[in-house]
Amino acid sequence: MYFWIKTASLFLVRSRSSTIVLTLMVLSAVSTLIFLSSLAIGINDAMIRNSVGLFSGHISGFNIPDDITKKQLFTEGVSGVLKRIPTSGFLHYRDQLEMTTLIAVAPAEEKKFTAIWKKAFKGRYLEPGKKEIFLSQPIAERLNIEPGDNIGFRSGTDSASVELTVAGIYKTGIDQFDRGVSFCIMSAIPVKSSPWNAAIFLDNGVDKEWIVGKYRNAKLNNISFKTWSDLMPDLQQLIDLNYISMSIVIVLVFIVVSSGIAGAFSIFILKNIREYGIMKAMGITPMETASLIFSEVILINLVASTLGIIIGAAAVFIFENIGINLSAYTSHNQYFIVSGIIFPRLTVFSLCLPPASALLFSIPAAIWPTALVIKRSAADILRSI
Amino acid sequence: MIHTHNISKSYRSGRGTVQALSDVSISIPGGATLALVGKSGSGKTTLLNCIGGLERPDNGSVNCFGVDIHTLSRRELSYFQRRNMGFVFQFGNLLSYLTVFENISFPLVLNNMEKEKRVAELLEKIGLPEVISAMPYELSGGETQRIAFARAIAHSPKMLLADEPTANLDTETGEKLVKYMFGMCKEEGCAIIISTHDQSLIKLADRTYTLLDGKVIGE
Repeated sequence: MYFWIKTASLFLVRSRSSTIVLTLMVLSAVSTLIFLSSLAIGINDAMIRNSVGLFSGHISGFNIPDDITKKQLFTEGVSGVLKRIPTSGFLHYRDQLEMTTLIAVAPAEEKKFTAIWKKAFKGRYLEPGKKEIFLSQPIAERLNIEPGDNIGFRSGTDSASVELTVAGIYKTGIDQFDRGVSFCIMSAIPVKSSPWNAAIFLDNGVDKEWIVGKYRNAKLNNISFKTWSDLMPDLQQLIDLNYISMSIVIVLVFIVVSSGIAGAFSIFILKNIREYGIMKAMGITPMETASLIFSEVILINLVASTLGIIIGAAAVFIFENIGINLSAYTSHNQYFIVSGIIFPRLTVFSLCLPPASALLFSIPAAIWPTALVIKRSAADILRSI
Repeated sequence: MIHTHNISKSYRSGRGTVQALSDVSISIPGGATLALVGKSGSGKTTLLNCIGGLERPDNGSVNCFGVDIHTLSRRELSYFQRRNMGFVFQFGNLLSYLTVFENISFPLVLNNMEKEKRVAELLEKIGLPEVISAMPYELSGGETQRIAFARAIAHSPKMLLADEPTANLDTETGEKLVKYMFGMCKEEGCAIIISTHDQSLIKLADRTYTLLDGKVIGE
């Protein structure tokens, strides 16, 4: 076998131009598909990052009793836990009333992990220590209020009204937010401290279900934890749909590219039919003929795929760091609400599938010309050239 | 002993069915030299190919050294060819991606034989030791044919089949090749079957068969 591999590599090295052309074909197909599949994963990542990064986090904990602290929710893979205390009530300004859920937050931490503060289109986000409110645009419009105005908040009919200054007005474009959610700092209103809600942010690549499982094992069973896919089933469906459609596109692209590669491999093998005819006359067996041809195909694939992986991975690495800014095409899309920058990401799947497919398509492509070389007599081959 | 018994071969072509060989029976004793002569299209190459197992006759049998070669499987025939036969074609037909050394050592590797010494010895004998690392495209026509001959006898086959080996060479170069072929084959005890128009070759052969329209018309 060593002799056939060596002879195959000599054939490839010495038939320089056709080897280079074939290598470039496989290389460009493999590297392009690695980049395309990494881009698809990057788009999904961006949608998740945008959706969880706006406010909710990867996991949301609801109705957490006061005896459970933020620290207890920190575990390996968790990068941040934000404490939020929601209070339902109404806002009153002059003679107008507006229902709202006022969420008391820690502004500094919120700014570190979420992007809701970036959505201020008038005024600014909350500042620690100030009795301020951050209102949504529809509420502000209905109340005809501007940043700097004072507004009252009452959590119940019999509770006292708290006066807050409007720090800023935000607009996310997401209905559930914009319709009736307002924010203030923890000390701004006399909110009860229990129960509280948590927004839990995870490190890159950490499985959300694994963290939820850890909480359950840590006897936090009585807390309702919901992952982003529970809270945003539409996003989960969109991501699944994106995976399916990108897989179909990648398979179709690969079928087209592979047909070209398969044809090129057939031509490459048949181009050397004279050589195989001479070898047949010298007594090489059908198995040895097949060994030689398949060694050529496998060797060229190995070299081209390795180069394709390196180039594809390098391109992904570059754009993984600088990102691809698609903001101009995503500004009205709620799943790209924070940022329209896509960061392609390599996975084992995106790295291995293209070279494996190249091999998978080129080996069957070599079967027909190999069978032809084996079937035709040496005399017939030598007569035809 | 090489013996063909009533072999026939026809081809289909654009001009209809061409009868290349009709009931050809010939015999060559081991170590002897045989010349196949005849006009172009008389069936010389087809007969040579059938004897060498490069193509299968439609009818009849070819017996080489006690083996009816066309009853062998493809694999068995390949093993038989690599051990017992050597071919020299009209255009040399060296493997174009292999050097002279790699070309001559090819049948030696197939037969698990020592190669370095044998290749050097053969190149010395044919007077071309300096081309050992050359690629086929760097050789002249005469050199190519001499290398093809060296490759054909490298593994000491029992039979050398040569299809018009001097047809594309000038007289002097052709004579040189013939001298090497007959001299070295005699040394190695190798039978030669050669198809040719070359009178100098015909004179050197122990036996001559003349073919016309696929039939033996004279011996």
